[in-house]
Amino acid sequence: MEDKQAYFEDEVFKTKDMKKTVKRFIASMGKQKARLIIVMLSVASYTFFTIIAPLYSARVVDLIWNTIKENAGSAAVFRITWDNAGRRIFMLLLLYLAAAGFYTLQNFLMSSFAEKLNLQLRNEISEKLQRLPLSFYDRRQPGEIMSRVTNDLDKMSEALQTGLIRLFVAAGTIIGSVIMMLSFSVLLTLIFLVFMAFSLTLTNIVSRKTLKYAAERQRYVGKMNGLIEESYSGRMIIKAFNYEKQSSQRIHSAAEELARASEKTDFLMNAVNPSIRFVNRCGMVIIVAIGGLMLLDGRLSSGKLQAFFQYVNQAGEPITEMSFMINTMQSALASVERVYEFLDEEEISEDSEGLRDINAQGNVSFNNVKFGYFPDKILMKDISFEARRGQKIAIVGSTGAGKTTLVNLLMRFYEVNGGSIMLDGTDTKKISRAALRSNFGMVLQDTWLFEGTIAENIAYGKPEATREEIVRAAKAARADFFIRTLPHGYDTLLCNDAENISVGQRQLLTIARVMLCNPAMLILDEATSSVDTRTEMEIGRAMNALMQNRTSFVIAHRLSTIVDADLILVMKNGDVIEQGTHSKLLKANGAYAELYNSQFA
Amino acid sequence: MKKRKGKVNSMKFILRFLKPYKVKCMAVLITIIIDVVCSMLVPTITADMINIAVSGGSIDAIIQRGILMLLVSFLSGGCMLAGSWLCAKLSAGIGKDIRNAVYDKSLEFSSADFEEFGTASMITRTLNDINVIQQAFVMFIQMVIPVPFMCVVGIFFAFRINRNMGFLILGATLFVLIFAMLIVSRASRIFEKLQSFLDRMNVVLRENITGVRVIRAFNKESHETGRMKKTFTDYAVSAIRANRLFAGLDSLAMVTINICVVAILYLGGNNVGAGTMKIGDITAVTEYAIWILFYIVMAQMVIILVPRAIICKRRIEEVLSKTPEIKDGTGKLNDDINMPGEDGIGDCDVISFENVSFRFADADEDTLREISFCCKRGETTAIIGGTGSGKSTVAKLLLRFHDVTGGRILFKDRDIRDISQHELREHISYVPQKAWLFSGTIADNLKYGNFKATKEEMLRALQTAQSDFVKDLKGGIDAYVAQGGTNYSGGQRQRLSIARALAKKADLYVFDDSFSALDFKTDAALRHALEKEIKNSAVLIIAQRISTIIHADRIIVLDDGKIAGIGRHEELLKSCPVYRDISESQMKGGANGR
Repeated sequence: MEDKQAYFEDEVFKTKDMKKTVKRFIASMGKQKARLIIVMLSVASYTFFTIIAPLYSARVVDLIWNTIKENAGSAAVFRITWDNAGRRIFMLLLLYLAAAGFYTLQNFLMSSFAEKLNLQLRNEISEKLQRLPLSFYDRRQPGEIMSRVTNDLDKMSEALQTGLIRLFVAAGTIIGSVIMMLSFSVLLTLIFLVFMAFSLTLTNIVSRKTLKYAAERQRYVGKMNGLIEESYSGRMIIKAFNYEKQSSQRIHSAAEELARASEKTDFLMNAVNPSIRFVNRCGMVIIVAIGGLMLLDGRLSSGKLQAFFQYVNQAGEPITEMSFMINTMQSALASVERVYEFLDEEEISEDSEGLRDINAQGNVSFNNVKFGYFPDKILMKDISFEARRGQKIAIVGSTGAGKTTLVNLLMRFYEVNGGSIMLDGTDTKKISRAALRSNFGMVLQDTWLFEGTIAENIAYGKPEATREEIVRAAKAARADFFIRTLPHGYDTLLCNDAENISVGQRQLLTIARVMLCNPAMLILDEATSSVDTRTEMEIGRAMNALMQNRTSFVIAHRLSTIVDADLILVMKNGDVIEQGTHSKLLKANGAYAELYNSQFA
Repeated sequence: MKKRKGKVNSMKFILRFLKPYKVKCMAVLITIIIDVVCSMLVPTITADMINIAVSGGSIDAIIQRGILMLLVSFLSGGCMLAGSWLCAKLSAGIGKDIRNAVYDKSLEFSSADFEEFGTASMITRTLNDINVIQQAFVMFIQMVIPVPFMCVVGIFFAFRINRNMGFLILGATLFVLIFAMLIVSRASRIFEKLQSFLDRMNVVLRENITGVRVIRAFNKESHETGRMKKTFTDYAVSAIRANRLFAGLDSLAMVTINICVVAILYLGGNNVGAGTMKIGDITAVTEYAIWILFYIVMAQMVIILVPRAIICKRRIEEVLSKTPEIKDGTGKLNDDINMPGEDGIGDCDVISFENVSFRFADADEDTLREISFCCKRGETTAIIGGTGSGKSTVAKLLLRFHDVTGGRILFKDRDIRDISQHELREHISYVPQKAWLFSGTIADNLKYGNFKATKEEMLRALQTAQSDFVKDLKGGIDAYVAQGGTNYSGGQRQRLSIARALAKKADLYVFDDSFSALDFKTDAALRHALEKEIKNSAVLIIAQRISTIIHADRIIVLDDGKIAGIGRHEELLKSCPVYRDISESQMKGGANGR
């Protein structure tokens, strides 16, 4: 739903710099440019042939009619022969076939054009995603980024797929048809134009009304969505309190409201085309009536009237289509511009230089580290501490104190603005990110699992792991029991954002994932917050065993788990305000002591 | 073969929901037929006018035809508008009915039934899937239904003019129809695939965005880029194949129309010469051909929507056709709440578990194994255990969100499977693990517990639940609650959720891990207040904190689905190693536990 919401909000037709975007878009087409040029030429030819064909057929009809009239006196039955009209009919066939041929050509050339371009841009985006700094992700909702890849690019390809051709054909057809019509009869053409102007105005009025109703429907859709979400999330309570009937009534009345609103909107949307067709038809009636009178006067031939009739049909539909197409094109261009903006986002520095292969011992030190998400807003002013191999470093502090930021710096998810972070005496800046991160194991606040089996998820960091290794890791993380109670054990598919297992269980899986990798250093970021105290203890024991000779950084909100830490860092507003062991800090009777006592008072 | 069956099922599904709208459906059909006939009458009258004009007919005759044509236009315009209106009504009505049916069905589901689909998926099924069906339905009525009528009427009109013309149009129509069907049957397979590729694309993309830290921490960037590129390529390849098919059909229709126009001219010329046809009829027949073929080409566009709609329909049907796991009992409990029988307070077992085992369907191990205990009136029973020990399942079993797979649960000596769920839940008040509040006011939420609760009763429940903060809110008990209760803190939400349960008079109060979000002081005060407030009922507390249950009359220690010990705090400390473990882990800091 959030995607859809974003989509509606994003529905901006305006491009910021149309010229630049168009230029860049053409550049993106690369080798496909030649294809587009052929398509354009084909469109021009097709339009030309479709315009002159009725003219030519008018001549044929007149010729036949005149010959028949001349022959009317004689007893001979008129038959089309090669000489009297056949040659011309054959020419007409060639004309029509040429038109159809170009039509086929452009159809096939365009059928892969948009999707290829789309694929290319999507691939560019997928590479871009890996090079964007984390701060980019922090600032945005997932739906917003996804909308670039799906909605925006879909809009582009839809508009390009058929829109481009239709737009050019429509423009060509209208201009050509009107010129032809003028050459037949100025009066009839004027009548046609008046009716066209009328139907354009009608389209505008109706579409403005439609927008209003669509907004109203959107409101009811929002209400319905909220209600359904709420009722499903709270269904246990609804059932526990025997509230089914009332809840059902609430949904029914919301559904009723939504139905009323949608039928109005749908009707208006559906009514546009019939109304325009109706106006066009009225125009046609008048044209035919007046044309018939002119025919009677001899001011118009029957072939010309029939041809005129065909031009009216040809030009009538595209005029209303044009205004719609132009809107679509504009909004597609705005979409493309958003995609380019995304592709132009600032990237993290190249990772090519730096040490590639390191086997860390686990000695970490922060030396006067300075950091801010924006260089002009420094959050961490001066952080220094030292963690020796095998030590347990605890980081405590209230929400927003900068605990997560600290470990993010350690992993080089962000770059420091001053000072340095050393690993075994080497500045982490001089180590490639990949090499650095491969020495860390990380369990995060939000337990991310992907759509795949439980075994695949545990083996994420070590795809070559055997089933035995996976089970061993799961056992160490105390996840084995619940995994075996699941429908398919280790081969259970996790989907729907892994709803089939609880948050605590998800966390156990992410711990198993790290266990399997057996890294030199560990980062546990509130990793145990949704696991109860006893499970936490058990994991802690397993972790302790695993952490022999390994450095670990633990962020925990339950102080009971970190009293045995070798070093406790107390953070506030981005800085470390106290550091030391549990007993030392308690004795100091400062911020830590206060925090500790408040939890166990 | 399988697909044909899918289509037949889809028809059945739609027909089932169309039943209440029989009259509207007939009306839609009539408007479509009239509209089709009118569409064909316009070129016919045009031809008539031309014929009159060229043969030197009167001005009156032409004007007469003009008026007739206007009338036809009005009629057709009116029908089209009426058709649109009916169609909008139909689709809105069907959407509403399906939505209601899905929601009402969901209310019959047990927890396991519901979790089989998952909340997110159920939301999609109730909202988006139904939208897709509605859309496809509208498109089908407006673009596919008219096609056969158009063909029949057009061919009929052509035959009326001349036999040759009739056969010509018939041949062209059949030719394009056959091709359209061939292409559509191939395209629908591609579109089915395309839909699954699209879903896959969304999933992988979302995973990449939400999991960026994990991906980078595990150095899986290039692996993930590869995954994304694969889904993108899969999608593009299928999309291009589908586009080619439609380009083929579109072009074929164009070639056919054009050849048709020339053939009409040639055959028409000869027929006019032979006097079997009039010159203006050439226009009429040309128009018939163009209309028919145009409609056929437009109709195949709908096919894009069909595979998606069929998938959505299938997903909705899965919900509608699911047999709820739990069979409702019919029995009633005779005695009133809080009115224990003659045997007096304390002795009476309100609820008892007898060798209860529970195993999730298809799991190869029990989540709960041979659990036996009872809750007595006026006493507090507590359950403690780690994550995955099965303690929350106990609450779900006794509320019959799941059915036991072994043993039985008795409520006032009746097997709960023999009582209706409604009746059973009338007698139990429940505070869930996750404090969920509904949007509305605080009073609205309290009324969940007791529909007829007076203001005094509500205030009292709030007071017992230590929710004095409500008094300071703007509006008091009429203060606004956002969906889920997100405008209150976790602790406040939990206390409101407890108040809601207390507003209800029940034989048994179940607190499923409801105290964890409270600080120790509130926890203690609340338990103290509870003791007085619900002393005539049985209380079951499921907890993680020892301090919460230290004074319970009976503590049940669960470990890996089995009972590791039953007794009071002091007894368990001595006899139960699991309990001792838990206790030690929480007492480590020293000052905890009072």
